[in-house]
Amino acid sequence: MREVGIVGVGHTKFGKTDQDFLTMLGEAALLCLDDAGVAPGPGAGIDQVLVASVGGGMVNRISASASALVDTLHLCPAMAECVENGPASGASAVKLGYMAIASGMCDCVLVVGGEKMNGKGGAAATDFVSTMLHPEAEYAYGLTLTAFVAMFTRLIMEKYGVTAEDMARVAVKNHENAMHNPDAQLHKRVTLEELTEGPDLERKNPLVADPLRRYDMCPMSDGAAAVLLCAMERAERFVKPPVRIAGIGQATDTHVVANRAVPTDLLAVRLAAQRAYAMAGLGPEDMDVAELHDAFQILEIVESEEVGFFPRGEGHLAVRRGDTALGGRIPINPSGGLKAKGHPLGATGVSQVVEIVRQLRREAGVRQVEGAKAGLCVNFGGFGNNVVATVLTRA
Amino acid sequence: MKLCAYRCKTCGKRTHPARFVCDSCGGREFVQEPLEGPVRLLTYTRVHNLPAGINKPHLDFGIVEFENGVRVSGQLELHSPAAIGMKLEASSGVVRVLQGEEITGFIFREP
Repeated sequence: MREVGIVGVGHTKFGKTDQDFLTMLGEAALLCLDDAGVAPGPGAGIDQVLVASVGGGMVNRISASASALVDTLHLCPAMAECVENGPASGASAVKLGYMAIASGMCDCVLVVGGEKMNGKGGAAATDFVSTMLHPEAEYAYGLTLTAFVAMFTRLIMEKYGVTAEDMARVAVKNHENAMHNPDAQLHKRVTLEELTEGPDLERKNPLVADPLRRYDMCPMSDGAAAVLLCAMERAERFVKPPVRIAGIGQATDTHVVANRAVPTDLLAVRLAAQRAYAMAGLGPEDMDVAELHDAFQILEIVESEEVGFFPRGEGHLAVRRGDTALGGRIPINPSGGLKAKGHPLGATGVSQVVEIVRQLRREAGVRQVEGAKAGLCVNFGGFGNNVVATVLTRA
Repeated sequence: MKLCAYRCKTCGKRTHPARFVCDSCGGREFVQEPLEGPVRLLTYTRVHNLPAGINKPHLDFGIVEFENGVRVSGQLELHSPAAIGMKLEASSGVVRVLQGEEITGFIFREP
């Protein structure tokens, strides 16, 4: 297989936007092409455009959006396809772009992930996200992703002694990191005290699904992110040195959450990371920085264990020690994570890769992890039933 | 939805919901068995941000284990506070109305 690098990145400001879905995708794509020094057009040498989104068709009433994007970017007759894999759609699209180049079928692939989730109301968004659950055994009951994470959290608290304060510590850290990311949705510092105590707690941080409160989970977000992939042997024509995609791993777990043998494990996270490390010839000890899928703060804690950064059941102790903060042993979510940067579903996996590319290029500004040479992304679909891990290294 | 267990004709493993292929032996034929009686509550939550179309302030959910080992998710209707390990009884009832159709599912209550 040929080696594949990332030669351009683009990212809209996540949050709530009046832009329509396709305009967001286009903005991220153009930022990415500008970053790579490529003028859009049939001469750009882009063989394929991949668009990652979950609700482009269902919510925004734009199906086959890759066909629309490739045209409006003046990239016809490049190949174009949509990729839908729940919240892991973004990393899946990067993986498919990697495969297209590694196989020799393409030299250069533009991957754009985006989602527009605001505008229909929170209950409608909750319903749309819940459609990824089992239609009869889960969705039909009114169960939601948040409900399953809440039930998982209760078991993790009981088994490993994780506390509400530990989840709040992750939120405080990620909000602080997002202060230094201009693309982040939430630019608001929060303190452990205001998230966990005081007479105003129910108003400031209300219960959403016991034991989870509002700050234990990400906000609802609009946004898009893009990366330009190229065969390493053809990367010289771009203005910045490529960042190498060293390894990609993906794994699945039971669709029906109740069917898991060990309900406190995130088995697909563990296997996806192991496969990505094996492909890269690296291990967790080689990672300098990570973007983990903290749609819920408990997930950052447990994923940090499952990817091998900390022993099982000790991720919360690492948070207490400050190991995962900027300047710590292994900084996690310097971008602000899904918690504070935001989580437009289809954009997230691409956004995580954008952050690690910026870290490895030394372009992350105040949130730069000094000397970072390798980074890990984990993009988590469903309630952990489809996970993509990506290892990036400086070329 | 049929509130039953699916027992693999080849190896006897029971599952819920239905599968095409047994995840223990690869068998493709299943016998339906009643899924009822006592259960043990494994974990639970009260959800306040419910999906569109459910006009209630909150709903209680749990994952339970039947005496035959089958684990399922369902709704809880309890008089006392939920607790891990609590003994409950399975019943069936309308759990949601989707596009005008009443959906029947598991509701777990105190015996």
